Amino acid sequence: MKKALVLLLLLPLPVVVGPAAADTLANVVGRARLDVQPVGGRPFKTITIENALGDIVVEGYDGTAIIIETKKTAPDDEALDRLRISLVPNGDGTVKLTTTADHNKESKRLRRGAVRIDLKVRAPRDARIEATAGSGTLTLSNMDAGGDLDTASGPIKVHNVSGELSTHSVSGATSLATVFGSIDSQTLQSDLDLDSISGEKLVAAANHGRIAGRRVRSREITLTTTDGKITLEAEATLRGRVIVSSIKGDLDVRLRRRGTVGVTVRARGSKVDFGVPAPAPVAGWTETHLGNTQASGAAFVEMRSRYGNVQFMIVD
Amino acid sequence: MTCERVRAQLTGYLDGELDGDAGTVVRGHLRTCEACRATASDEAVLRDGLRSLPPVAPPNSLWAGVQARLAAEEVAESKRPAWRRALARWQRFVPAPRVAITGALVAAAAVAVVYWETRPVEEVAREQIAWYRQVVVPPQQFAPEAPLLKNQPAPSSCATVADASIDVSEALALDGQRAEAAYDCAIQDLLTEAANVRGDWSATQRSAFDDKVKAMREVIAKADGKPKQRATRAMVTYLQGAVTRDQVLLAGVP
Repeated sequence: MKKALVLLLLLPLPVVVGPAAADTLANVVGRARLDVQPVGGRPFKTITIENALGDIVVEGYDGTAIIIETKKTAPDDEALDRLRISLVPNGDGTVKLTTTADHNKESKRLRRGAVRIDLKVRAPRDARIEATAGSGTLTLSNMDAGGDLDTASGPIKVHNVSGELSTHSVSGATSLATVFGSIDSQTLQSDLDLDSISGEKLVAAANHGRIAGRRVRSREITLTTTDGKITLEAEATLRGRVIVSSIKGDLDVRLRRRGTVGVTVRARGSKVDFGVPAPAPVAGWTETHLGNTQASGAAFVEMRSRYGNVQFMIVD
Repeated sequence: MTCERVRAQLTGYLDGELDGDAGTVVRGHLRTCEACRATASDEAVLRDGLRSLPPVAPPNSLWAGVQARLAAEEVAESKRPAWRRALARWQRFVPAPRVAITGALVAAAAVAVVYWETRPVEEVAREQIAWYRQVVVPPQQFAPEAPLLKNQPAPSSCATVADASIDVSEALALDGQRAEAAYDCAIQDLLTEAANVRGDWSATQRSAFDDKVKAMREVIAKADGKPKQRATRAMVTYLQGAVTRDQVLLAGVP
C-alpha cells in the first residue's frame, strides 16, 4: 500500500532551560505534541515506532486517535535542528513513527550521548505495537493486541498487555508483568523477569542471563538459558506442559497444584532434588508421579541442566 | 695511529666527543685508510638509521634487567681493592669478561629496542586483524564436518565497537551491524556448545542438525532487515533447543 501522506516533521519548539534540566549535558529542549486521527475513519491497526535515540513509552487508552508527545534534548539549537521525527500514516491502518539525526558536511560532530529524543505515545488499545529502540527504555502498557518489541541495550518493560507478544533484546533487561496471551521473549545477554503471566503459551530464552518467573499460569511453558539460573513459580494447569532447560544454569521450579491435577515430573542434572524421596534415576532421568497421572489432563514437567543442579517442589 | 686504535675511537668520533687533537688524528687516518673509512661509513649509516626511527619506550622489564646488572657491577667495583681498580683503568682497551658481559647486555637491549622500533607495521596489523577475526567477527561459515571437540571452552563474549568518537548519525547507522554481530557471536557460542554435546546424539540427529544449520545459514545470508533478524533469532532458538534439550529434529523452524 502506498503511503498516503507524509504528515510532518514535528517542529521543535526550542526552550532554553537552566542547569536543572534532566540531561546535564544538554541545555536545549524541544517539545511537541500531535494528535493523529485515523485516515479515512479507519481505525489504526498497527503502529510502528523506531527510535534509536531515546525512550519509547506506549500507553493504551480508550480512544481512536494517536497522541504523540516528543521531547528532543540537545546541547544547542543547531544540534536540536538535526533531530528529526517523521510520521507516516497509511490508508491501511498502519502508522510509522521514526526518528533520525540528520548530518551534512557543515554539521559539527555530535556525540550520540549528547542528544536524545524521547517519545510518549498514547494509542488505541486494540492497535498492535511494533517498536524498536536502541539503548533507551521501551515501555508498553495497557494494550490489548500485543506487540513486537525490540531493543539493543535498552530495557523492555511490559505491563498489563494481552495478545500475541514478542520481545527481543540484545542486552536490555526484560520485564513482563500481568501479561495474558502467547508470549515469546528472548534476550542474549540480559535477565528476563516474568510476573503474573497467563495464556496459551510462554516461550522465554536468555543466552547469558537468568530467567525468573512468578505467578505463571500459561498452559505451555518453555524456559531456556545457556548459562543463567532459572527460577519458576508456576501453577499446574490441565494438560499443561512445563519444559525448563539450561546448559550450565541451576533450575528451581515450584509448582502450585490446584485440585487433583496429576503431575509427572522428570529431571536430570548434576544434582536432582525433588524435596521428597524419589526413585533412582533411569538412563539419567529421575521421574516421579504426583497425584493421578493416568487420568486425562495430567500435567507434565521436564527439567534438565547439563551442568547445573535441578530442584523441584510442589506447593499445595 | 693503528687501524685498531682508530676503530676503538670511531664511536666517540662520530658522536663528536673526541677532543680537537684526537679528532684530527682519527680524521686524518680516515682520509688515508679505505678500510677504516668503510667501517666508519657503515657505523654512521647504522646510527643515522636508528636516529630516524620513531621513539618507542622499551619495556620496563628490559631496562630493569640492564640496570640491575649495571648496579651489581658498580657494587662489585666498589668492593674491589684500589690496585685492581687502577689496573682496570689501564685495561680499558682490553675487554675484561665482566665489562664484556655488561656490554653484551647493553647491546642486546639496543637490538631489542631496534626490533621494537623497526617491527613492520604490516606485522602488527596482521596480528590485530587475526585477533579481530577470531574474537570480534566470528567465521561466517560453519563447517558441519568440524571435528568434535569435547568440552571446548565457549568463545568469550563479542567485543563491541565504541562510538564515542563518531557522529551520532554514523553511530545510528552502525546499530544494525552491532546487533547482528551480537547474534552472530551467540550463534558461534551455541555452535561450540553443540560441538561439545553432539557426541551424545545419534548419527541421524547429527546429520539433521548439520542440515538444519546449513539451511538456516542460507536463509540468513539471503535475507535482509527484519526477515534477517527473525531468521537469526530463530537460529538462536533452534540451537538452544538442540544443546539444552537435544531437540535436534525440531519441526517448524525455518
